Amino acid sequence: MVQATFYDGLNAERYTAEVAVAGPRSIRVTPSVGEPVELEADELVVADEDKQKLILSRRGLPGWRLILDQPVAPELRAALPRSAHYGGWIDRVGLGKASLVLAGIAGAVLLIGHSAPLWIAPIVPPSWERNVGDAIVGDFGELRCRSPEGDAALNALVERLDPGATGPGANQIRIAALDVDMFNAAAIPGAHIVVFKGALDETKNIDALAGIIAHEIAHVRRRHVTEALVRELGIGALIRTFAGSVGANAEQVVGLSFTRANEREADADAIATLRRAGIDPRPTAALFAKLSKKAGGDSNPALEFLDSHPGSKGRAGNFARSYDPKISYRPALDPAAAKAMLTACANDPKPIKRR
Amino acid sequence: MNVMGSAPTAHERAIRFTGNWREYLPIAASNVLLIIVTLGIYRFWAAARQRRYLWSRTEVIGDRLEWSGTGKEMFIGFLIVTLVLLPFFLFFQFLLPALVARGKAEAAGGVFMLFYVAILYLAGVARFRALRYRLSRTWWRGIRGGSDEPGWNYGGEYLGRIALAGITMWIAWPWMATALFRSRWNEMSFGSLPFRSTLDAEGLKRRWAGIYLIPLALLFVGGIAGATIGLGGRSASASAVVVALIVMIYLAIPLLTLHWYAKYYRKAAETMSLGELEFGFDATTWQWLKLFLGNIALAVVTLGFGLAYWGYRNWAFMVRHMHLYGEIDVTALGQSATRVPTEAEGFADAFDIGAL
Repeated sequence: MVQATFYDGLNAERYTAEVAVAGPRSIRVTPSVGEPVELEADELVVADEDKQKLILSRRGLPGWRLILDQPVAPELRAALPRSAHYGGWIDRVGLGKASLVLAGIAGAVLLIGHSAPLWIAPIVPPSWERNVGDAIVGDFGELRCRSPEGDAALNALVERLDPGATGPGANQIRIAALDVDMFNAAAIPGAHIVVFKGALDETKNIDALAGIIAHEIAHVRRRHVTEALVRELGIGALIRTFAGSVGANAEQVVGLSFTRANEREADADAIATLRRAGIDPRPTAALFAKLSKKAGGDSNPALEFLDSHPGSKGRAGNFARSYDPKISYRPALDPAAAKAMLTACANDPKPIKRR
Repeated sequence: MNVMGSAPTAHERAIRFTGNWREYLPIAASNVLLIIVTLGIYRFWAAARQRRYLWSRTEVIGDRLEWSGTGKEMFIGFLIVTLVLLPFFLFFQFLLPALVARGKAEAAGGVFMLFYVAILYLAGVARFRALRYRLSRTWWRGIRGGSDEPGWNYGGEYLGRIALAGITMWIAWPWMATALFRSRWNEMSFGSLPFRSTLDAEGLKRRWAGIYLIPLALLFVGGIAGATIGLGGRSASASAVVVALIVMIYLAIPLLTLHWYAKYYRKAAETMSLGELEFGFDATTWQWLKLFLGNIALAVVTLGFGLAYWGYRNWAFMVRHMHLYGEIDVTALGQSATRVPTEAEGFADAFDIGAL
């Protein structure tokens, strides 16, 4: 028989109660007012238990509290429900074991999260990706260079590299030039490829641009873009992509970063594509060599390209080695089309000057 | 016997904090561990455990408080609110760039405004509901608190008053803040007793004016000093004065704001009552500053682990500076008839708002 403090939950009046063990899993509570009551352990909940007090509440009777002073006799404690420390199953397993199990799960989740883009990308429906891509390209709005001859030349170049690629269908590649003074080209969700004005201005050689575009086509075909999208979606970057202004979007889309493995794969594909199309790979090699030299200085627009495309020097070598003197290479585009492409942004009927 | 008096003497206080940091250490350490290995999900259970400890070490007129909120309900609250708010956020995040891209800047501006209005409104609702939730899970002598209001009206008032304060460049803030405090607390109750607040801007105006006038005065004095030195031909010392001035203003504004809030909290407590029970709060600006600097120092010295003690330190600070006067008729203090809210602090969590 133990003395306890008792609150009935009807008002704040303090009562005393006598508590005794009634069975292996039940107690008898005799309050100073009211009838004695026999309670099963299942009807009780430990509201709190520490070195000073053991506080019991009763299911279905809010405010009903039985407060026992510690230490509670072992026989009585055994007749009462267990108390919750860490919560749920952690109490049953123990903190040490639970932490190990949870750490294992956390590790697995992080690992899956890290590799998820690789296996999710192939199962993302192209139509869904196309919607996202169209939303982004729509945001380029007036940045887009609208020169019919320039567009025709860009499409002709893609056709030369990948025959049938610009024809209608689920895998149609759509290419555009953007009036952004940045040396770059990018593959965008939904099989879009954009070439920036900076790249058109700086590269005088159309064959080098063909190499870069072949590289971007490889990113599209191998669904590296989707992979990057899924990877960045994982950290909420996709949402940020849509939250920014038009200008910020252009940079964020370029900021979709591919892994080094992606880049190597795209380079290998580009080399194969150039060979199949009969385009000289040496101008592409020369361009990479030039970019790697430039990388020495800072505040260089080429740096951005290099950041996501590591190791320009080694890449230049790969392209250069693929040159085969037995092949009779032909220019990627005829001179008229080449000129139209390089001036795609200069000949924009309504040029919009930015920066 | 039915009437519990609480005449506080120097030694006996009606509200006391009885915890100590060593006793709390196992809770803090296991919380940090479990938060890490669950990638943050355990934080709801960690918060519940922290509160259960802090409440149990808060003694009000001889009886300790009890926290009955659970990690599970806070987690579920978080999930519910996330599910409710996510489409809302996504909608605006897709709609806005789409409108901008199509050159409909005015429409985009309108949508943007609407978005912020909605956010402000929900932030007000969140604040109200977080307070209601905390009271509903706080027990003393088998009695809990709560509110019958769901907070939708308060959200509207919050929106209006914040907008009004904003229009006046926050000059009207003392009036707005006190009115909101009143509206919030006058809807709250503990057991059968309603909280009553008569807080108003009286006595809070001079310190608020100081936030505007003292930096201006600094600027004026510094400007004269800078010009005088500058006229002497020593431009280096003149720019040093300007730098010192900027630093002083950047320090002055937060400190003056803290100075105002110190008084605000003291007044808020003094003008609050629960039945025959009256409240007091005696923390000075300097004590608040020591609390915040102490928190930062603790986190730095312990390489971040000290963050687990911020909640403890803040609660202990509040309780140690709080006073209760008058008496409470425990027989008349009946059980609360308010509805028990279920979404916990989901809304407040979503907007990162503290309730008290």
